[in-house]
Amino acid sequence: MDKSTQAINSDVESTNQSVEILQSTKDWQRISPIAILYFLAKFVAGLLSNIVYLLPTLYIGYDNFIAHPHLWLPVGLGVISLIVISTFLSFYFFQYRLHQDHIEIRSGVISKKHVNLPFAKIQNVKLEQPVYYRPFDFTCLQLDTAGSSKQEAKVVALRVDFAEQLKKEILAQHKLASYTEISSADEAINSTISNAQTNEQITERILNTRSLSDLVIHGLTNNRIWIFLGGLAPFFDDFGRYIVDFFQGLGIDLEKFLTFADKPMWQIGLYALTLTFIILLPFTLFSIAGSIITFYNYTLSKVGDRYIRRSGLLTKYEVTMRLARLQMVVRQQDWLDVILKRINLKFEQSNSALNQYQAGAQNNRIIVPSINPDECLALINDVYPDNKMMSIDYQSISKRFLLRNLGYILTPIFISISIFFITVDKANLLMAVTPAYLFISLLIYMRWLRWGYATDNDFIYIRKGFFGVDYTCFPIFKTQQAQFKQSWFQKRHQLSSLRIVLAAGAQDIPFIKQENAYQLLDKALYQVESSRKSWM
Amino acid sequence: MQGIESFSNTTIPSTDLPQLEQLNFEALSPSYAKSNRYISLFSTLFIVAVLLIIQLQHFLPLSTTANNVVSFFIGATVFVGFISTIYFILADKRKFYALREQDLSYRSGVIFRKTVSQPMLRIQHVELQRGPIDRKIGLAKLQVFSAGGAMHTFEIPGLPVEKAESIRQFILDHKDVNHYG
Repeated sequence: MDKSTQAINSDVESTNQSVEILQSTKDWQRISPIAILYFLAKFVAGLLSNIVYLLPTLYIGYDNFIAHPHLWLPVGLGVISLIVISTFLSFYFFQYRLHQDHIEIRSGVISKKHVNLPFAKIQNVKLEQPVYYRPFDFTCLQLDTAGSSKQEAKVVALRVDFAEQLKKEILAQHKLASYTEISSADEAINSTISNAQTNEQITERILNTRSLSDLVIHGLTNNRIWIFLGGLAPFFDDFGRYIVDFFQGLGIDLEKFLTFADKPMWQIGLYALTLTFIILLPFTLFSIAGSIITFYNYTLSKVGDRYIRRSGLLTKYEVTMRLARLQMVVRQQDWLDVILKRINLKFEQSNSALNQYQAGAQNNRIIVPSINPDECLALINDVYPDNKMMSIDYQSISKRFLLRNLGYILTPIFISISIFFITVDKANLLMAVTPAYLFISLLIYMRWLRWGYATDNDFIYIRKGFFGVDYTCFPIFKTQQAQFKQSWFQKRHQLSSLRIVLAAGAQDIPFIKQENAYQLLDKALYQVESSRKSWM
Repeated sequence: MQGIESFSNTTIPSTDLPQLEQLNFEALSPSYAKSNRYISLFSTLFIVAVLLIIQLQHFLPLSTTANNVVSFFIGATVFVGFISTIYFILADKRKFYALREQDLSYRSGVIFRKTVSQPMLRIQHVELQRGPIDRKIGLAKLQVFSAGGAMHTFEIPGLPVEKAESIRQFILDHKDVNHYG
């Protein structure tokens, strides 16, 4: 204990400047008035996200406004003054203090909130710099605890240098606490580790950066347009009619162009292709813009056992993750990624404390967008040096997965739909149903082909996907809960499915041999219970 | 603080591990199945009674269509009540739990059988939940929360109160929960 704490203490004292600053914030104090900007932005964002509920009011109000134009001014002024007053009050009632290694935050205008967090309990420190803070050199400091989402705290406006120092201080405290915990177990090993780490702590090593072209590729490959178009499908008819009308307005008779009977095949194909591109283009641009806004100036670096992700064009995010907090690594490739040989690598942390309203929630994971296989391998090996994600043999799941999904579910549905269409004399609809059937069959087949699992002493690996392929790898001792599942039909064939619940979500392996499933689950439980290691 | 470096790597033959397949499962309290059957029966009867009153009352005579709709709902309620009673009879017989030194398991399901195992080491907190009927007949539902999230809350329903209390105490006394939970 003594040696390790001393090492860290000296590390802390070396930044005695920070201690001084911390001393000066012992009393309750307000943050810089610049925070008014933040509260304003938050208020407006809240208003916009609730606009659905306001629409009926606006709709009813609209007629009144038209009838009584002189109402505009007072109502407008009222709304503006409401916004101004509420933002100011939010700012006025926001106070914080640092006291005996605790951070306390008081906030709230009508419902008061008082958060008291000991530094040692803080698991994660995030810096978030919205675009309007940048000229003034301010930033938001977000503090996460491992526990409930209610215990989260955000200091909304601090000077960047102060925030950095505070962050350092908090993380040092945290380290101190965890060392004290372990030190009783093994002093000698412990002190050597801590010495090694305090030395390392000084230098920050950059592991990866992303250039603009990488981000463009990321935008292209992570285009969610397919999902979006799927959602739009019911409106295609109206949409098409609208477009035809629009072109007719321009004097172009689209229907004449698109009457296929007298045109050669290649021409029709060309039309289809052009149309698809015209539709795809704006969405793709949108997606690229999104990628650049999120990941601009991306760097992933490592200090000691902490990984730090920094990125953002408008709002700059900084996410820090300690290695021990990592729950699983996901190596993700969509079909386009497979073609372009790019990979999205995700380091997943616990998401059980996630809450919907927190905008930064999804930033809890560290994503490395669109990297090359080599870079990916290097990063995974940096995190888990012993892992064999790409070299281990994956066992595929049983063919009965195909039989169940194709034979017992999809085909009967298809046949009954077909019979229904034929009996109601709409046999031409089969033209649409059959390709859909074939496509879904192909998806199921690909699903089966991809799904596999492997395990070694320390890790469980899962491979899955459709046309793309995702590899997941997690240390077995991170298991939170193990589930064994078996249906009647599976039991007859000695098959079963299993689910391993991690703090970062559940992982399923379906249709594997019953004995293998039991072995895997026994192993998982054994490793958790015998190693007694904390999951974070 | 534990990095991968400190991971022990001793190989253990898988047959030597404690086996889930050989768990000694215990049945839930018999009054749990009984109470489920009664709840299903009485709630069906109650809804049917309300619908019948609507149909047979003379203060506000129903139109023929409305009458048909109500008749349909009566039929549907009886059907659903019947099916759910059968389901309860089948399902409640197949719910078991097992307690080992280091973990809790709960088995359930009629066609899709499921065994959930929760290591004590990963338990964050424990709750006993008792509704009004549970209180009447001395039952409790044990809920165990891990970092796996609310979706994966481990639950054992229909335990006699004393049993539930003792399991709860057993979990709380488990020293790993205090140290690492």
